[in-house]
Amino acid sequence: MSAIFGNFFMAVRGIGSNWLRTFLTMLGVLIGVASVIVLLAIGTGSSQSIEKSIQSLGSNTLTVFSGSRSGSSSGTQIRNSTLNIASVTALSSSVNDPDVKSVSPVVTTSLSATYDGTSYTTSVIGSTSSYLTAENYTVSAGRSISHSDVVNHAQVIDIGSSVASALFATGSDPLGKQVQLGSSDFTIVGLLASKGSSGLSNEDAVVIAPYTAVQDQLTGESQSFSELLVQGKSSSTLSLAESEVESTLASLNDTTVSSLPFTVIDSASLLTAATSSSKTFTALLGWMAAVSLLVGAIGVMNIMLVTVTERTREIGIRKAIGARKVIILTQFLIESMVISFLGGICGVFAGILVSRFKIDGVKPVLASYSIPLALGVAISVGIVAGFYPAYRAASLRPIDALRYE
Amino acid sequence: MSHVTSPTPIIAMKDIVKSYMMGEVEVLATRGISLSVQKGEFVAIMGMSGSGKSTLMNIIGCLDVPTSGHYRLDGVNIRHLDDRALSQIRNKKIGFVFQGFNLISRMAAIQNVELPMAYAGVRTKERRKRALAALNMVGLGDRLDHFSSELSGGQQQRVAIARAMCTNPALILADEPTGNLDSRSSAELMTLFSGLHDQGRTIVMITHEPDIAEYASRVVILRDGAIVSDKPQSSSRAVSYELEMSGAPLLGQVRAQD
Repeated sequence: MSAIFGNFFMAVRGIGSNWLRTFLTMLGVLIGVASVIVLLAIGTGSSQSIEKSIQSLGSNTLTVFSGSRSGSSSGTQIRNSTLNIASVTALSSSVNDPDVKSVSPVVTTSLSATYDGTSYTTSVIGSTSSYLTAENYTVSAGRSISHSDVVNHAQVIDIGSSVASALFATGSDPLGKQVQLGSSDFTIVGLLASKGSSGLSNEDAVVIAPYTAVQDQLTGESQSFSELLVQGKSSSTLSLAESEVESTLASLNDTTVSSLPFTVIDSASLLTAATSSSKTFTALLGWMAAVSLLVGAIGVMNIMLVTVTERTREIGIRKAIGARKVIILTQFLIESMVISFLGGICGVFAGILVSRFKIDGVKPVLASYSIPLALGVAISVGIVAGFYPAYRAASLRPIDALRYE
Repeated sequence: MSHVTSPTPIIAMKDIVKSYMMGEVEVLATRGISLSVQKGEFVAIMGMSGSGKSTLMNIIGCLDVPTSGHYRLDGVNIRHLDDRALSQIRNKKIGFVFQGFNLISRMAAIQNVELPMAYAGVRTKERRKRALAALNMVGLGDRLDHFSSELSGGQQQRVAIARAMCTNPALILADEPTGNLDSRSSAELMTLFSGLHDQGRTIVMITHEPDIAEYASRVVILRDGAIVSDKPQSSSRAVSYELEMSGAPLLGQVRAQD
């Protein structure tokens, strides 16, 4: 044991004897380890932001769009292929669709909202009060649009926090103020709490109004909806709700589920797809980092081979005065492990440091597993890259090594 | 052998043959050498280059194994020993002194002396104590922390002797110990060897310098891989005579060549 311990100090001295070369070798491992940590942090950060933006869509929701999923069906087969109030009524029936909690018709447009000479371009969503629940909006002040607003075609709106801060000075109360949307005036009745920026789109740059008022004033006389937002009763029965929605719409339109002129998208499946693609992305980044670690490992091996050659005579002396093979082997192994371990430690710090900065719009999130992983790999690199040179040193015959000039 | 035989000789060699393959040709470096060295002897092995003395020294030092023949070192048969066992024999039974000093340049004098004891598993405190004693004995008690680049050739060789001594080996094996030294340092070093001999140490020294061989109690002369002369030391004249007979250059000529 004390022999191993003494060996450790011997190895450290060996490293110190050519510190510039040691530093450059360590740099290879450092960069490798740091890039493992940073690239995995970027991968984790971007996948978290994707997940967050999808979760903010509402987790138990289905979205029904016009148009077939396959896109190949011709229009002649389809009668009555628009989403209208009849579809909403049919889907809201608890007999046919027991797993559907609510159905919100959605009419969307993008408009400039003006107040007191200030304009702000925002998306305007015409819907019902159930839309806010399904989309996870909460009202921070005032009230949400109501069923009677919808029935009465009331020109009232709930505004998102981005709209509020763009149009109104801090401190002033937007409630009750008249905002011009297009050519019509709408009264603000509620403020929506911020959902936070989720990377993909600003969920707070939104104005929500009764769909009836939006159809009257903004999108013309059409009675159809751009989409229906269906909230399921729970995430576990969402696929049941999906098939209920599909069969209800099929019977309503006198067609079969397979030739349905609508597309039903499940937010959970979007999440799954996005998660798997971001996992692929993270894995790809991980592989790139692994390649740079491999280059670092080759550097360590190269330097250890040079060191063994340079110190052939020293190895000969050590063997002549009684160093066993295993002693020489561990001496050089410890040396390469110390180099790669120090490089690894510095790489962890460099990686953590770089991960604090936003890179290409992505806020890296340190993956907790990446640090032990990178350090573990760094030490293994030391063992693997050091083994062959160390073995070569240990296998030298003392007379050959002593004769080496 | 004309010498008094004691129960276990330090070196007991019988018919030692070492052959190398040089391409297709087999070259005999030693052609059946038999040699016995008793405890307390100071033997000089002499010969020209190519006489087989380096091969003999490697075999005596357990750095190489003979092709055939028997060799017992301090009663241990070294044939059929593996690398690990040979390392232990070198560590415990032999103290090496090389022509090129062979200190490890990155280590201070005292660390060099401690190294074989470290390999033998001697505890740190004991190691330091024995290394100090050995360095004091060779007169370098005030140079403990000097690196070899800060020591003269003679001083480096004395560190090497301290290193060879500190494991208390059965045999001190010196390979041209004065080969890289000036005549004054050589004389000082040989006085040191004589002192060790007087203390009862067994020393085998390879040299081609007759005036260095004069310090030994017995001179063995090799030629073409065989012993041509093995006599107890009487006078320098005797050595010169034997060398002349074996074809080695005389004292003055050797010096001139250096």
